[in-house]
Amino acid sequence: MFIETPGPAAATAAGPAGRQARRAGSTRPSWKPYLYIAPAVILLLVWTYWPLGQTVNLSFYDWNLIPTKPKQFVDVQKYAKVLNLPELHQALLNTALYILAFLAISAALPLVFALLSRKVQGKARTVYQALIFVPFLITPVATSAIWRWLFAPEGGTIPAIAATLGSPMGNVFRDPNGSMLAVIVIVGWQMLGFGVLVVSAGLAGISPDYAAAASIDGASGSQITRRIIIPLLSPSLVFLCLMTILLSAQWTYPIIDLVTQGGPGNSSTNIYYLLYQFGFRNFDAGLSSAAGTLFFLGFGLVALVFVELSERLSFYDN
Amino acid sequence: MAFITIASPTHSGAVQPGAVQPGAVQPGAVQPGAVQPSAARRFPRWVAWSLVPSHALLILLAVASIFPVYWMFVTAFRPASEALSNNPLPGPLSLENFQYVLRTIPIAGMLANTFGMSLLLALAQLLVAILASYGFARWDFPGKKALYLLFVGSWLVPFQVTMIPNYLLVSQLGMLNTIAGVVLPQLCSAFAVMMLRQHLEAFPKDLLDASQMDGRSSWRTLWEVVVPNLRPALAALGIMLFISAWNEYLWPSLIMQKSDALIQVGIRGFLGAEGNNWGAIMAASALACLPIFLIYIFLQRYVVDAFVRSGLK
Repeated sequence: MFIETPGPAAATAAGPAGRQARRAGSTRPSWKPYLYIAPAVILLLVWTYWPLGQTVNLSFYDWNLIPTKPKQFVDVQKYAKVLNLPELHQALLNTALYILAFLAISAALPLVFALLSRKVQGKARTVYQALIFVPFLITPVATSAIWRWLFAPEGGTIPAIAATLGSPMGNVFRDPNGSMLAVIVIVGWQMLGFGVLVVSAGLAGISPDYAAAASIDGASGSQITRRIIIPLLSPSLVFLCLMTILLSAQWTYPIIDLVTQGGPGNSSTNIYYLLYQFGFRNFDAGLSSAAGTLFFLGFGLVALVFVELSERLSFYDN
Repeated sequence: MAFITIASPTHSGAVQPGAVQPGAVQPGAVQPGAVQPSAARRFPRWVAWSLVPSHALLILLAVASIFPVYWMFVTAFRPASEALSNNPLPGPLSLENFQYVLRTIPIAGMLANTFGMSLLLALAQLLVAILASYGFARWDFPGKKALYLLFVGSWLVPFQVTMIPNYLLVSQLGMLNTIAGVVLPQLCSAFAVMMLRQHLEAFPKDLLDASQMDGRSSWRTLWEVVVPNLRPALAALGIMLFISAWNEYLWPSLIMQKSDALIQVGIRGFLGAEGNNWGAIMAASALACLPIFLIYIFLQRYVVDAFVRSGLK
């Protein structure tokens, strides 16, 4: 979806030859397109790619972010240090667990929900969709406040329900075994509805003719789902999975920062929050940059492998 | 996709007399043979009953989605003394919490600033993206693939990896704790460029050619032919960029450490300081979401469609 390749652009060059002569750019390279693209490219270079280079560069220095203090070249010491930090191992493990949890919540569960509810159509469907999309739009400060209130040990709805059910709970955000689960619940609440809508939109785009033809041929309902519907849905599912892998650490970041600060004892931290702590809490630019460079390479590799795999596994209806 | 039009074509497409019945289940699941001519009993009973589990599932999902938001409003509109009430029904109604918030922090100013910032940022991102996507969609030129790859590749650069150099650059420009410092690094939305390019690739080339024959320059063609025709797509994208700008947290929280001008950062301190004063905290949170709720209430379909199609926050 968003990783589309420049394909039909070539069509611009087609067309009657007489007209083509009038069109600058079609016949000879001109400066025009560059001028249109320049603002975006310059912004991208200045605020994304040049800083990326800077990060790689900083990872070889010891520096505390104070402009007057000189940077000290330390070779690969920061990499050696960061790879041996227990915090990093914990954050990597947590990030992997978060990704697994969100693959279930924003891809697998939505598939089940969308398949089970696809027969509901019309006004009712519009109303349901409008409601389940709301959590996705709530601003992070409000989301964190709402859930701190729902989880509040005194007067909070969730502990009250837990107590009535006979299993009282304390402050979940201060519990090393509960804090990560709480972050998953909060972010999962925001992402579940979004996933359901993406899968439903994918389902709505599948022509009913396929299922009708298969059922005439004697295919059962579950066969149609497994052999026809799910393969045709694969672009939507691949898209959700790729988003989850690439972005779930971003989704959790505000909630971690606002609710748990990665704690208690790093139990709910993730890799991006660790980068923030290295850089803006410990003022160790080199350490943060070394870790950042490693994550960038790691995620890039994972994404490329995933795109390659999905190209082979996806099934397009065209 | 078919998403935004799910409700309407079912209605307008049903040309048979009596096909649309208020309150009745829509005809999606019905075999043509099962439709009976009588208006009152068009569906065999099993069709309606077979939908019960689906509805139950969706109701469960909808309640789980909406209850926390509902609870925020219920708590915010209660008198401060009854904040801990576990009565699931709203009431007694009181504006006490909102008055307290308005008295304690300059939240109206924060809302106005954040609104202005989000609007400005969304419009600037649209402008940059319109120009770039037009350049990519209309011409072929050496280096096109490589340049476009810059936009696609920026997905792989998480903001947290580049935040230290960005912070240093903003700091060198003297823009720490200013709204300009928040806006500047976000002016180019690679996502908007990619979305608009898709729309522009689908734009009829004949219209562009005709405009050229009329003697319009490429610049005038863009503003007089392309942009007016892309208005729905631009509106949807603009709404989405606005919501994303409003909800952006990480970058404002770094740049505005000593400023309370923006709501995301401004009420953070208040929320922490109020401890267990849940009524006030919920009132401030409700205010922080206000513009998004208003947009959603009036433009719900555009919002859902824009986000679902793009799939990105």
